Amino acid sequence: MTHEHRARRFEVEALTRVEGEGGLIVEIRDGQLADVRLRIFEPPRFFEGFLRGRTFTEPPDITARICGICPVAYQMSACQAIEAACGVEVDPAIRDLRHLLYCGEWIESHVLHIHLLHAPDFLGYPSGIAMAADHRAEVERGLRLKKLGNRLVEVVGGRAVHPVNVRVGGFYRAPTLAEMHSLRDELRWAIDAATDITRWVATLPMPEHELPHGTTMVALQHPTEYPMLGDRLVSTPLADGTTIDIGPHEWRDHFTEEHVEHSTALHGRMLAGGDYVVGPLARFALNAHHLAPRAAALAAEVGLPTGERNPFRSIVVRAVETLHACEVALAIVEGYREPARSFVPVEPRAGVGCGWSEAPRGLLWHRYELSADGTIEQVQIVPPTSQNQPAIEHDLMHLIEHSLHLDDAELEALCETAVRNYDPCISCATHFLDMRVIRS
Amino acid sequence: MSAPAPLVTVIGIGNPYRRDDGAAGVVVRMLRERFGDDQRVRLVELDGESVRLVQAWEGSSQVWLVDAVRSGRPPGSVHEVDATRLADLDDSGKRLGGGHLMGLAEAVELAQALDLLPAQLRILGIEGVDFDHGEGLHEETALGVTLAAEQLSESIRSALGHEERLHLTR
Repeated sequence: MTHEHRARRFEVEALTRVEGEGGLIVEIRDGQLADVRLRIFEPPRFFEGFLRGRTFTEPPDITARICGICPVAYQMSACQAIEAACGVEVDPAIRDLRHLLYCGEWIESHVLHIHLLHAPDFLGYPSGIAMAADHRAEVERGLRLKKLGNRLVEVVGGRAVHPVNVRVGGFYRAPTLAEMHSLRDELRWAIDAATDITRWVATLPMPEHELPHGTTMVALQHPTEYPMLGDRLVSTPLADGTTIDIGPHEWRDHFTEEHVEHSTALHGRMLAGGDYVVGPLARFALNAHHLAPRAAALAAEVGLPTGERNPFRSIVVRAVETLHACEVALAIVEGYREPARSFVPVEPRAGVGCGWSEAPRGLLWHRYELSADGTIEQVQIVPPTSQNQPAIEHDLMHLIEHSLHLDDAELEALCETAVRNYDPCISCATHFLDMRVIRS
Repeated sequence: MSAPAPLVTVIGIGNPYRRDDGAAGVVVRMLRERFGDDQRVRLVELDGESVRLVQAWEGSSQVWLVDAVRSGRPPGSVHEVDATRLADLDDSGKRLGGGHLMGLAEAVELAQALDLLPAQLRILGIEGVDFDHGEGLHEETALGVTLAAEQLSESIRSALGHEERLHLTR
């Protein structure tokens, strides 16, 4: 059934949720795509105001509440920004613990997204629960792996959700050797499990599609690591052939946020113009050479080209990144020695500090202005979903323009899957969308 | 050898920076003062994500999920429902799950699909008023928190007492 001569308007209204709200409107007039608008409610806007006037030690605990799925990302970006403002660098052992904590969050977030949100799309199920009836072993394997991610966050962060052991300068308490060693056997199992998950998702049927021409990929980079914590922000070539290679204090020289009428979220923009994406595809394109050995070999085995530009294949990249996180976590656990100190003392001083890290769904940048006594004067928090939002809209336009032959139900399903390619903070909600087609 | 799973798990769901949505967390903290040292009781604060919920109650036979709700009843009212009956509730009842209904309903469905439902899974809903951004509970919601903590304490003591009696008769 085609609808070439009818006006079609898709409105995807999200149910109100505390953690995130969103919706998608697609308008088709006279067989031509007229508009795509993604509406996202964004908690960071509130938290920026909420943090002003608080003291510099509070952001790790408070910003952890912005997102239930990626509290560690908020904590790590906040800590690094405040430490930069105060002129403090943490010890390598503390950084290793941060890296391990982040591995836990990547594992948890990626595995949840793969099994309960995205794989069901490709297999034609309305939810992960429906998929579990036919793919119970895969779902159980995923949940066991997610539980390990929780456990990593709990051992390092003191609590599996909204970790309480994180402080500016490090941790209130370092894990004991026994606690760390208790993770080893499950991590060894996890490496095999993540390998199998990657092979499984690589076989899922998915559309052939590419990011629109000119979309720039942006991700952190580290001299030796696949980035969770990274020093530089780099990009694939921009329209003029140049690339971005900047430190955290230079973010505002290259990027900005804009208000758009249809969304309470700000939209990230490159000052040089054009769309950009952050997240797994961008990380992989710019950092595949730093993947842990088994993850790198597996990426090649399942045919992930460096520079993969099919957003639907981001599920495969997430699976490879999950394996990478398991390998890194095991290496950190096996090499662990209880550090001489669990945190570096941080004294406040007047100044500006910026910090960033790679949340599971992409770059998360924080900026704090502190007064001499450590009072927070200004805050800016730029989450990955707001950065990806313009690119998601344009990607959807590109996709829909080539899919107008589909009937309404097929097109809606395709749009939902495409939004979930980016694992936006609203993705949990999008499984419960009240999807309607309004024709006029 | 790892310790046996706690008999009772109480999970408080919510966000302390969404005012009354933080009610369940306060209940859990009150219960921690009373049962924090009892190995048979697990007290957890979560955000409502379904897999975490299922994994948090794993091993316990008696589970209470505490959540702030908005159903139109007087603020501070405490509702108790069987979580496995969430899907049967009518439209007004479906509001009972507050902001986390979908996480709760999905958790129950997931647990059913994977045979992970505890013998008893009940929801204690505290009627809230203000779910805007910010800290602190509405006065009447805070009264509901005290009521819920008392009600749960009774239920927990009863469950523990029942278990002790079972041990004595074996």
